[in-house]
Amino acid sequence: MRTKEGRLGWLFASPYLLYAVVFFLIPLVWSLFLSATNWNLISPTFSFVGIQNYLEAFKSPGVQAAFFVAFKFMAVFVPLVIALSIIVALIVQGLPRFKGIFLIGFFLPYLASGVVSSLIVKGILSYNSPVNEFLRKAFGLDIDWLGSPFAALFVVALIIAWKFTGYYALILTSGFESINKEVYEAAMIDGVNAWQRFWKITFPLLYPALYTVLILAIGVTFGIFTEVYQLTGGGPNFATNTWQMEIFSRAFTNLQAGYASAIAIIASVVTFISIYVIRKLLELWGKRNGWD
Amino acid sequence: MKVKKVASVLLAASLAVSGLAACSGKDQSKGESSKDGVTTIEFWAAPNPTQQVYWKEVAQQFTKENPKIKVNVSPMKESPTSEASIQSAIAGGSAPTMSENINRGFAAQLAESKALVPLDTLAGWDEVKKERNMENTMKGWQFADSHQYVLPIYSNAMLFGWRIDVLKELGYNEAPKTYSEMLDVAKKLKQKYPDKYVWAKADLADPTAWKRWFDFFMLYDAASNGNKFIEGTKFTGDQKAGEQVLTLMAVLQKNKALLTKQAKDPFENALGIFSDIGPWTIAYWKDKFPKMKYNETYTLSLPPVPDGVDTTNVKTFADTKGLVIYASATKAQQEAAMKFIKWVYSKPENDVKWLEKTSLPPARDDLTTNDSFKAFFDKNPALQPYAAAVPNAIPPMDNAKYNDLQTIIGQQAFNPVVKGEKDPKTAWQDMQKAIEGALK
Repeated sequence: MRTKEGRLGWLFASPYLLYAVVFFLIPLVWSLFLSATNWNLISPTFSFVGIQNYLEAFKSPGVQAAFFVAFKFMAVFVPLVIALSIIVALIVQGLPRFKGIFLIGFFLPYLASGVVSSLIVKGILSYNSPVNEFLRKAFGLDIDWLGSPFAALFVVALIIAWKFTGYYALILTSGFESINKEVYEAAMIDGVNAWQRFWKITFPLLYPALYTVLILAIGVTFGIFTEVYQLTGGGPNFATNTWQMEIFSRAFTNLQAGYASAIAIIASVVTFISIYVIRKLLELWGKRNGWD
Repeated sequence: MKVKKVASVLLAASLAVSGLAACSGKDQSKGESSKDGVTTIEFWAAPNPTQQVYWKEVAQQFTKENPKIKVNVSPMKESPTSEASIQSAIAGGSAPTMSENINRGFAAQLAESKALVPLDTLAGWDEVKKERNMENTMKGWQFADSHQYVLPIYSNAMLFGWRIDVLKELGYNEAPKTYSEMLDVAKKLKQKYPDKYVWAKADLADPTAWKRWFDFFMLYDAASNGNKFIEGTKFTGDQKAGEQVLTLMAVLQKNKALLTKQAKDPFENALGIFSDIGPWTIAYWKDKFPKMKYNETYTLSLPPVPDGVDTTNVKTFADTKGLVIYASATKAQQEAAMKFIKWVYSKPENDVKWLEKTSLPPARDDLTTNDSFKAFFDKNPALQPYAAAVPNAIPPMDNAKYNDLQTIIGQQAFNPVVKGEKDPKTAWQDMQKAIEGALK
């Protein structure tokens, strides 16, 4: 019986295992191999360079920038997207009807092309756009949205937050739905106000959904590419140079596939460690609120 | 029990293999490049509808006259760039026989990786050069190893556009030719229109390598009389000319005559009165900005030069792309590809057709003297200056590290000067040092 169950387990898991082998394990092994060579994938010859690519990557300003940019994006994007998705989920939660339709509406940006939304934003933020003309005339504000480091980072983070808010709101709405309404009734009898209700009841009880959303959002910050590629090209002065941007420009613009693979491996390790640490911190927070 | 285990492993392995096979993009037709005496060549055209139409028509005509060679024309993918698509195709073993849309720098990268066939080693190459009347043009295209890897299809001698309507308001009847004339225009412009700029272009502050072709190299080629910036693995930049270019930019920046923020159609909206213009823009304006009229709203000129430099036959940057044949093609395909090239370029009508469809000046020496092109240029006077400038156009560097090198020009010199962060002398020194380091 145990063996049969085991076999069934393997059978049901096999599609994913196969997928993981083909799309994760083989590319990972291939990347590890490439990262130890100076191959550009098209040359008939290459040589093994050992850890030379890794040593060069650690010294590279582009890689150093990518390391910090990921955390800068995290610091701006994660609070922004969490706050926005909680607000959207709360608004939808309070609607008497058509919750599904509104949720779909908020979810639509997730399906929008990053290229198209970036180009629209580029138009909106151009120097001679009505928005900037108004800011200059009304407030004397002349902001270089994509040319100054923080503004560029903020604009990219905002576009991505707009894209993901609806998706995360969907997850949080299901979290809200799973909170036992009796808890609220008991709190109301005890005279709890709306502010206390949110921070003392809703927020801690939303932990499982929040945990998922936080981990997903942190994962996003390590994979930003399209918006940066379209809007800033990683600039100004590497201020938006993400891991993906650095890997892309090394592999496909400079034809340094081996070196780009080394950066990809470093990026994976950084991503893994970051998510692991944040996961542990979240679990600690969950435990303090009674979640095991 | 053991048999079952082995069977499951085999099943998993076969699934994995079929999965991998399904994912493989390898061109199965390649093995059948020569079937029934017919050689099939795959041709990737630029991802531009007009160029695709041109190549499809030409290929059809060629196959009609040469039934033993079939040319399959398909658009080059841009995922996310055409260079990336070509690299992936070569790596995946699905490269075409030949493609267009290859710039000299990228060709140098491919040539260094032995991915291209040296065209001069194929029979018929000398005749192509002679019949197309492009022997002079080709001299500038020789690579460091003395081979020719690219046949330039078109050569856009990049020109600067000036808003002649605004210049006239400032008291000028023609475009400035020297730096001091340009700075005088800048002074008068800021006095009359403080909200306007001489050059409004966000790319000036962007270190992306290719962007230097359309600012630094246009000015540098003019100031240095076409001096080679890099020769082989040696930095041979003209320091005096380079510093003059950077000083011009520094003075413009100081006088608030440069705008490096992203702006929508700054030249068309006269936010900036000076801009690099390629011939493709003229066709674009016909459609999108009909108010842009040659010699009414704008005029075209060669780049301004430092005072004291001869203002006739000024050199400029050539935005030029061409055809290559890939080394992965079979011998029969390479020969068939050369036959196709020879057929296309032995007839000036095909270049006329190209010019009419794309407005991109064919890279040939007789563009202004051959009667075949006269009717076209008479009908399109705005394109005449481009044809006239072809002999003065300098193609991009042929160094495989051109991306790194041009990024350095931006990061160390051009961008910081434009932003007022470095003085021209320091900027040039920093750039030279970084380039020499990268060339080692």
